[in-house]
Amino acid sequence: MQTVTIDPCTLPPACEVLRTEVRTFIAETLAGYPAAKRVRNWSGADPAFSKRLGARGWIGMTWPKRYGGHERSLLERYVVMEEMLAAGAPVGAHWVAERQSALLLMRLSPEVLAPRIVPSIARGETYFCIGMSEPDTGSDLASVRTRAVHTEAGWVVNGRKVWTSGAHRAHYMIALVRTGTQGELRHAGLSQLLVDMKTPGLTVRPIINQLGEHDFNEVTFDDVLVPHEHLIGVEGDGWSQVSGELAFERSGPERYLSSSQLLLEMLDAADTKETRHTVALGRITASYATLRQMSLGVSGMLARGENPALAAALVKDQGALVEQAMPDIAHDLFGGVAPPGSALAHALSYTARAVPSFSLRGGTREILRGIIAKGLGLR
Amino acid sequence: MIEQSAARLFAQNVDRALLEQFEAGTWPQKLWQLSADQGLTLALASESSGGIGASWSEAYPILRGLGYWQAPLPLAETMIAAQLLSLAGLDVPEGPITIIEAGRDTIAAAAGTGLRLTGSSVRVAWAGSCRWVLVSLTDGRIALVDLHQPGTVHITPRVNTAGEPSGDVRFEGAACLAHAPNPLPALQEPVRTLGAIAASAMMVGAMEWLLEQSVQYANDRVQFGRPIGKNQAIQQSLALMAGEVAAARVATIVACADAPDTATQDCTATRFSAAVAKVRSGEAATRAASIAHQVHGAIGFTYEHSLNFATRRLWAWREAYGADAWWAQRLGEAAIAAGSGGFWPAITSRHFDTGGRS
Repeated sequence: MQTVTIDPCTLPPACEVLRTEVRTFIAETLAGYPAAKRVRNWSGADPAFSKRLGARGWIGMTWPKRYGGHERSLLERYVVMEEMLAAGAPVGAHWVAERQSALLLMRLSPEVLAPRIVPSIARGETYFCIGMSEPDTGSDLASVRTRAVHTEAGWVVNGRKVWTSGAHRAHYMIALVRTGTQGELRHAGLSQLLVDMKTPGLTVRPIINQLGEHDFNEVTFDDVLVPHEHLIGVEGDGWSQVSGELAFERSGPERYLSSSQLLLEMLDAADTKETRHTVALGRITASYATLRQMSLGVSGMLARGENPALAAALVKDQGALVEQAMPDIAHDLFGGVAPPGSALAHALSYTARAVPSFSLRGGTREILRGIIAKGLGLR
Repeated sequence: MIEQSAARLFAQNVDRALLEQFEAGTWPQKLWQLSADQGLTLALASESSGGIGASWSEAYPILRGLGYWQAPLPLAETMIAAQLLSLAGLDVPEGPITIIEAGRDTIAAAAGTGLRLTGSSVRVAWAGSCRWVLVSLTDGRIALVDLHQPGTVHITPRVNTAGEPSGDVRFEGAACLAHAPNPLPALQEPVRTLGAIAASAMMVGAMEWLLEQSVQYANDRVQFGRPIGKNQAIQQSLALMAGEVAAARVATIVACADAPDTATQDCTATRFSAAVAKVRSGEAATRAASIAHQVHGAIGFTYEHSLNFATRRLWAWREAYGADAWWAQRLGEAAIAAGSGGFWPAITSRHFDTGGRS
């Protein structure tokens, strides 16, 4: 049996110096930023804020300088990320591009696409969305039907993507498309393409979520022409490329911190003499402290060049349980008694509606547990 | 080094026969002696006290091993007592030592050059098997007491859920062999706090064994013509169990790293990390034991099957040195006092800035 162990990772002193800088920056930049916006956590997007972060050198911190990066450590990047999320900073505009898209471009198109695009990601100016899900393709990613056909002029793409978060503000999509047949191997025939969202034939339509917000979209491709050099990596290798990307998508601190604002509101409303409050909030405190160490441990694995795919699935599963329990605990402690119109009442209502997505986005709970079970030696 | 010697010792000497004899009331003298001979009892004590001077991180495999192999020994208690005694510059007596975090009703009164104790403590681990007890007093002192003092020390024997002999201890002017100020003045309730870390490590070991057994059983047991582990329902349960075990393990390893070693004696994050570890391990123990039993079906409910030796230990140890709810209450009080402004800094620094409390 393969045990799924995550070893904690100790942050070097330089990280704590950086942490102080980040806290000062947040205190200054987000003074007066309302709780009603902080509650959106990393779904909140503000291009102006992203550009300020870019100017501070806090986007693409680990990337090579030739791509506009700052060649700092993964652990320093971790500190910036966790501080932003804990404060509910509006990091949503650049989040996906920074977390995974730029990495993919630097790894698989280091001479052509990365030098052209990655520096503007590091400046906080260029945003990405991920084109994976389709109307008939959810967890079963290998069933993707959006097709790209190789022509002399370029790749001609037809099909439809859904649940595409941030497509309406993204400059580019990295789309998983079918370029060959599935055949014997279910995962064969898939490729990744870089698509400029302004290309003729590409249409973005909003899909309003149950929060009443415009976050995800339907994106249709009607003979969209994509230049040959926008093929990322190797034709037909899309599946393994995506799998590598998912480890980054699943491993970060955003996978347990999304409900933080509600927790903070609860702490301010709670009473130290009320045992129901102290026990429930103490349990969350223990979970937060533990998940932080697990998440940091995964970053440590990445820093050491280990494959964290299994550990990342496990941390995301554990993290979603805690994020999702938050509104239920808040309901238990404050449901019906939080003053109407209070920040607590708003955070409770908002978070209750937001959390069902947390065990869907980035891999459903069931898919993640399937990955973990396989890692344990089952099936 | 410590890891290999503990693993070899427990793997070679703890078996079903030993556990059955133990539950029938036989003290595992040979196993204890081997542990003492290898220095495990004094692992945390300084070298000048005859110990190894190991850090808690280095000693973690011993504690984890107690759970993984279900070794029935008061080793955690003895290790903690030996560390505190040696830090205080007191002699460490031979043989098993148990520990008590005394409540306010336990009073120490000066008697000549010594101290006499009056008060009581319930569910003292291994009270019936130990000659000595190290008592941490609310007045900031620690005291070593001989439990064999007819007339002044009374022990009501108990057996805990794991079948381990505990006892309710009553002191009626019991003489102390030695006493000293708490050698870790920055650490509140040193016995309870270090005991919580040890119990967490023991639970992690027991859970790791349970997870291995459960995966093995799911792969071996055939129903409907295939291993039950092929069913998604079973896979999902075991995956959740793996997450719980991994969480408990991380929290506990951090708590060990944050526990004071004999050299530096840094206690800044000890209380916080011990609380986190005990809450998270206790919660995980509850869930892991439940899943392991469900996967094993009826055979796992028999005394004959070894599953119960681990699950009963989890149900006993989740209560030891403060149950998860007790520690959660302490953490919650500190978190609420810290409020929205102080919460996150406490998570990253692993201590609540509450003027020395909690």
